[in-house]
Amino acid sequence: MELWEAINGRRSVRAFNDRPVERDILERLLEAAIWAPSGGNAQTWQFVVVTESKRIRSIKTVSPGLLGDPAAVIAVCQDLAEARAKGGALGETFLAPVDAAMATENLLLAAYAEGLGTCVIASFHRGAVGRLLDLPKGVEPMLLISVGWPAERPPAPPRRKDDIVSFEVYNA
Amino acid sequence: MHEIGLEEKIFELVGYMVTSGRNLLDETPLYGPFRLVDAASRLILLLEDEEVISSRLSVIRERIDAGKYSVMTSPGEFRTFLDSLVDALVDHMNPGKGKGGDQLGKRTEISRG
Repeated sequence: MELWEAINGRRSVRAFNDRPVERDILERLLEAAIWAPSGGNAQTWQFVVVTESKRIRSIKTVSPGLLGDPAAVIAVCQDLAEARAKGGALGETFLAPVDAAMATENLLLAAYAEGLGTCVIASFHRGAVGRLLDLPKGVEPMLLISVGWPAERPPAPPRRKDDIVSFEVYNA
Repeated sequence: MHEIGLEEKIFELVGYMVTSGRNLLDETPLYGPFRLVDAASRLILLLEDEEVISSRLSVIRERIDAGKYSVMTSPGEFRTFLDSLVDALVDHMNPGKGKGGDQLGKRTEISRG
């Protein structure tokens, strides 16, 4: 698939069919994620892939932004202690969430290329999800990604194009 | 896959509502009404799963699910959607008398299947 096709075609999907996502496909998505850039090449991310339906339902119970019934949920986490050790306060408070977001976008595009639907979720209770995933102290979930075979193809929301790009200096 | 019992379904809905209550402290205010109508949709779906059938509730759920995501794209459209939803509720309080009542379906007494 051409890169631009994935960039333009990807949507946030919130309705999935019942078909499971095979393990090798999930592993390819994670491979795409870990090829993302990271500040200072820190690579302090951690990924937890959940495919057990009961565990997904538990996560969904404390994740209001997780809509539909995906075959898998991927928690994009950061080891904040390691991020601080490698990048100082900037690493912990800024680079860690930014790096998680960059890895997430790689994963979304790779999923789209596989024919999968995804949705990024920030509306979840971090402490509760951390407990359900048995995350160790210092490892925090940054984002959840729902993954499954899409049962819908949402239209593209309008894109803001005016007044958001400047060349050379702001708003020239 | 194990069968999901009624108590578990209710627990999950309560979890959704409680967690929404906490998270909304930090989220965009627009998500408040979204979570409320989404919770209503989930409640109706839960009842349908349990074969507690009401055609007017099903119509309301379908309308919610068709319009709720406008919150992501247009606050104005979302507001209009919520107004139309309240209108639909009023229509279904007096079946056949309110505007659009016939289009939306007559009231059906809840019956346990």
